Amino acid sequence: MDVTLLLLALFSTVGLVFTYLAVTERDLVRAIIYSAVQSSAYAVLLYLLRAPDIVLVYIPVSVGLYPAALLFLVGKTEKVDGE
Amino acid sequence: MALNTLERFLLTLTLYNLLATAAISIYGIVVRPSLTKKIISLTILGDALNVLAIFIGFRVFSIPPVLIPGVELELFVGLAVDPLPQALVLTAIVIGLAVTLFLVFLALQIYRLYGTLDTRRIRELRG
Amino acid sequence: MRRVIVAVSIAASVALLAYTTTVAGALGYLGLETRTLARMFLALTYNPDLRELTAMSPEAVTAIVWDFRGVDTLYETVVFYMAIIAALAIYRGVSRVSGGGGVGLSLIVRVVTKLLIPMNIAIAVSIAVHGHLTPGGGFQAGATLAVISVLLAVVYSVNSFSRVGVDISKAVALRSAGLIAIAIVVFTPLIYSALTGAQAYLMQSYVKVDSGFYFPVDVFGQLISGTLIWLNTAEFLAVSFGFFIVFMLLSLREEIVKQSLLGEGRGS
Repeated sequence: MDVTLLLLALFSTVGLVFTYLAVTERDLVRAIIYSAVQSSAYAVLLYLLRAPDIVLVYIPVSVGLYPAALLFLVGKTEKVDGE
Repeated sequence: MALNTLERFLLTLTLYNLLATAAISIYGIVVRPSLTKKIISLTILGDALNVLAIFIGFRVFSIPPVLIPGVELELFVGLAVDPLPQALVLTAIVIGLAVTLFLVFLALQIYRLYGTLDTRRIRELRG
Repeated sequence: MRRVIVAVSIAASVALLAYTTTVAGALGYLGLETRTLARMFLALTYNPDLRELTAMSPEAVTAIVWDFRGVDTLYETVVFYMAIIAALAIYRGVSRVSGGGGVGLSLIVRVVTKLLIPMNIAIAVSIAVHGHLTPGGGFQAGATLAVISVLLAVVYSVNSFSRVGVDISKAVALRSAGLIAIAIVVFTPLIYSALTGAQAYLMQSYVKVDSGFYFPVDVFGQLISGTLIWLNTAEFLAVSFGFFIVFMLLSLREEIVKQSLLGEGRGS
């Protein structure tokens, strides 16, 4: 059995767990950190799917630029989701 | 070279995980009231669907679509994964990034004009 | 703690659903063969025997992005350009990126960042220029260089942009230079066709069936793949300075922005 398939299943499950934690979290800074961890798991997933061009785009954009822009937004506006 | 049941289970599990991630992020866009949470869920939805598109072009026992000198063409065509979804996903990631950055600027402007980012309170203020 | 249990149980139920689907055998061929279109692209990406159909670049994804489906990438560049224009339009009263009393972070962080910035620039330029030989290209390199703008804004404070010499009008000028370079490379075959009367197509990179025009493919034995290297470098310039504009505007302090935007608007 190929190790690739086992790692594919493992990292997609990690992504699913952290997505649920990010969507239902009230504190917005923690939600951004959870979504950054989910993006790291998806970066490994994209490498296992034999797509090195996409990994080179995905890591600076999804782990670096999205959390940076969203943290600037949260720092200037509200920090809690909901009541 | 057929796949046995365990390998098919792992591939199907990956597919279902990606679809479930997309479903949870759609719940996040629709239900959660804060605009920032909606933007976070939109980025997660885009990521899950892009990985799903690349997963469709995947092939077990394969190499990336880069022709290394010394590998002959027949072997390369027989082993490499599909390069077309990767090119289309590259375009999709750039467009998603442009839309998300624009949404962040719009959310900042809404906060300056209305004083809040909660959509329930914005709906009351407009009337 | 309760939410972690809910998340793990969602994952377990998805696994159970996948098991039942596999036992019933609903998905037959997943992951074994590939489509005919993919075989065609893989066979034509570097094929000196078929000179009218090939892209002369061993990297299949860059060949598809800039040669086989180049007009799609042109439209994607236009979409990104319009998002930056929208951001500049919202901030139209702001002209200086400085002011306020920003301090930045401590000395250790500043020294480490000073070591990291040249490494980042070197890696980004290497990814852009080798885009037709190894995985990489214009957009990958632009996003890598954009991380430097975030580092400058956070570690050294917003005032550091004017100390380094980058302000909004210079970033807009450099981004426009990148876009003009892309336009020149795209329209060169048409200008050649108008001047000499031969047949040539928009964004043509190598010889086609009824057209003999081509960009140089290798220089002293080193492969440069026609238009691909010029388009990658121009896209790198355009994308990285577009991101510089976005993060310079985002990191401005709110008091300065409110003076410029809402103070004028309310007539006070």
